[in-house]
Amino acid sequence: MSEASFPVNDLVRRKLRTSLTVISLTCSVASTLFLLLFSERIGFGITSVAEGTLTHGLSVVFSQFVLFVGILIFAVGAVIISFIVFLMMAQRTRDFGLIKAAGCPNGLVFSYFITELLIVTLAGCLLGVVFGFVADFAVTKLGNFQVYQKPPDLWLAPLVFAVFFALALIFGTKPLLDAARSSPIKALSPIQYFGLSTGNKLKALSRSGIIFKIASRSLFRRQSATVRIVLLLSIVFVLLTVSIAGSIIADDTTKSWVEKATGRNVIVVTHNSMCNQYKALYSKFLGATENGNFDYMNPKLFVSGAILQQLNATAGIANVDVRLILKEHIEEVRSYTIDPETLATIPIGEYREGDFLVVGVEPEKVMDTGYMKGQFLNSSDAWAAVIGDTVAQTMFFTNTSIGPQSINPKTGRPYGADYPKFSDPLLQSLRLQGKTFRIIGVRSDPINNGNVTYVSLKNLQNVTNVANVNIVLVKLDPSADRTVTLAQIREKVQNINSEFTVFELDEVLNKNLDFLGSMWSTIMLLPVFTLTSAALCLIGYMMLAVDEQRQEFAILRAIGAKPKTIIFILAIQSIIVLLSSFAVGISFGVITTLLILVPQPVVTSFTIVEVAAWLFTALMGMFLLSLVPAVKFAKTPILKIMT
Amino acid sequence: MKADNFAVVVYSLRKAYQMADVKVEVLKDVNLNVATGEFVVICGPSGAGKTTLLNIISGIDRPTSGKIIVFGEDLTEKDEDFLADFRCNDVGFVFQSYNLVSTLTVAENIAFPMEWRRKPAEEIEKRVAELLETVGLQHRANHFPAQLSGGEQQRVAFARALANDPQLLLADEPTGNLDTKNGQKITQILQMLKTNGKTVIVSTHDAQIIQLADQKLCLEEGRLASQDE
Repeated sequence: MSEASFPVNDLVRRKLRTSLTVISLTCSVASTLFLLLFSERIGFGITSVAEGTLTHGLSVVFSQFVLFVGILIFAVGAVIISFIVFLMMAQRTRDFGLIKAAGCPNGLVFSYFITELLIVTLAGCLLGVVFGFVADFAVTKLGNFQVYQKPPDLWLAPLVFAVFFALALIFGTKPLLDAARSSPIKALSPIQYFGLSTGNKLKALSRSGIIFKIASRSLFRRQSATVRIVLLLSIVFVLLTVSIAGSIIADDTTKSWVEKATGRNVIVVTHNSMCNQYKALYSKFLGATENGNFDYMNPKLFVSGAILQQLNATAGIANVDVRLILKEHIEEVRSYTIDPETLATIPIGEYREGDFLVVGVEPEKVMDTGYMKGQFLNSSDAWAAVIGDTVAQTMFFTNTSIGPQSINPKTGRPYGADYPKFSDPLLQSLRLQGKTFRIIGVRSDPINNGNVTYVSLKNLQNVTNVANVNIVLVKLDPSADRTVTLAQIREKVQNINSEFTVFELDEVLNKNLDFLGSMWSTIMLLPVFTLTSAALCLIGYMMLAVDEQRQEFAILRAIGAKPKTIIFILAIQSIIVLLSSFAVGISFGVITTLLILVPQPVVTSFTIVEVAAWLFTALMGMFLLSLVPAVKFAKTPILKIMT
Repeated sequence: MKADNFAVVVYSLRKAYQMADVKVEVLKDVNLNVATGEFVVICGPSGAGKTTLLNIISGIDRPTSGKIIVFGEDLTEKDEDFLADFRCNDVGFVFQSYNLVSTLTVAENIAFPMEWRRKPAEEIEKRVAELLETVGLQHRANHFPAQLSGGEQQRVAFARALANDPQLLLADEPTGNLDTKNGQKITQILQMLKTNGKTVIVSTHDAQIIQLADQKLCLEEGRLASQDE
């Protein structure tokens, strides 16, 4: 046999194991590449947090998830490769011994198995790259992301390929070298075989179930493989919990933010052109672009007193929220704070400025403020403002600050130089038309992707000299007949001004919520690839268990054990491995999700049931798959096993 | 003698294996009657089919054709679950290569066939102690098979085979891998079983064991012949 043909023939001869190894690698590479391609495509580069597709607050939550899931997928990929290589070596130790006993030099043995490793890794990584692109293409075409049809970032493919290929070599070469250098007698030893540990100290005749005893002792006997599979599955379950629990909770939470900020059962009454502009401002998740030259002060947009009078007089309306929306120039106002020890003045913020959407509202009419830091406007706080989360990020958040130039006599350095440089919008103000407004809150707001500032209507009208409003948000009474109320509003508004329209904001809200739902669903899909890899690894582990206990099972069968007893022993081993990994994975996953990834999580009892159902399904699926080798083995005749 | 009095009745038994394109006939029209309490020795060269015959009598293997009736039960008609119970309750099998469960201690190896029958723990403990004394391995109760010598492992295998006090004991070359001294100990155990009236079928070349036989048979090229004839 030639040197080159041995590894190829060896891999072909062990079709099932080779396939399992290649498929596991393929799934790991594909899931990682898909994650990177998808996140790049929709504008959330792993490293760049806010790219303008969502509001800053939502971007942060989504990007954190993508980043965390990406790290976990990479970690799982690394552990899978380590585990696969270990399995390859564990199952080949005897072959090493035999080949070396026959006189094959170390270098040649090493070259045989490194060639096998390279072939398997190359095949797995190449297929993974192909499937990664296919998955990205399919999700983008079939999912709700048609607006982000930019070409895929091809440079990601060699990056992922190189990283995983390198990981395989790093993790694979060491055990290969160890195995190639071990003496033939060591390689042939049953103690060495499968990494068995010697010196089992369990003693005495126990009355506990014999089946459990056989299962658990075998599990600990091949502790190297058991530790690896538990580690691998633990990371997979962390990933699964973060992806499933996180996605469901984050989905509920972010939808709740958007729904509260937009309002449910809200009707917009405004001029036709303003209506289109308002819809565009609310549809930025879906890639809509508003008219940049829109004249918000055009008198024809102003809502007449007659319309307001009619709306207030209409039955079935819970609230009439009048607003003035303008595009205004806003300046950041630097603030100062005092160091309590030195009494030095420390500056906060800079002198930035820009044009933003400004919404004047009657604070007492704003029914729900959504997710925010600080507080919303109130009637008693006259010159106050609430800014959108993206404004807070772009204008009021930076680590650069100009310190005071006076020297601190104690340190000999300028005042402020010893303090962390920071900006904090809640300690700052903004200037609008020469008037200063104290910032009292930061709100996650879908309108104009969070590029918005709220001030009281009265103040906005005062500083801009616009006495009118250009939009009315009408909250319908949920107990009233929606169709009747809507018809009445339409009729009254049309009778007064035919250029005015009545628009149901729920339409835009639902599209936004669907978009968010699609994004989180996609996050939920990511671990499917990894889960498949992990399930295949678990099957590989169970095949190792079957191989290692083959003779014992044959003896048990010969002494009177039924086939189901063998399945039961292997099932116990699978359960121990799965449950220990599950406990570790779920704990870390839940802690990470609730304490780190999602701020102010919305967790209902339904959410808990939904998450538990998904995780339980995954656990059961993996458990049932892990029994495949056991069931197949149990059907094998005793003599065939013994020989 | 009536058929009811026989512990084992083998009638026109054939066993063939398909090895690639070649059909290998291991047993050819084997007929055998073993009376209850009889000590039967089967001799014959390697590859004659001794192990296959014992495997079929114990229900580990199935014949290609013919009948095998053990204690009135036709094993050829039984399913795998019945055969498993049969092997656990009615037959004790001692393998040439000991075949102890490496994850269980000596005591546990002897105990597990009884635990499968759900016998009370006290009864199991008592029986294990009794069997350890019989095979002279009380001091090895908590050792694992890997810590025993070949002779000791074979004595444990005998103790395990006798755990459920089966009516029939089958031993496949029990001294084949042992030295003379350990072989003698095994012969003593077989002598004791014969004295106790146990039905025993042993395949062996060991002269000492052959001397114990009530019925000596020779299996050659798949056919059985009595050496007494």
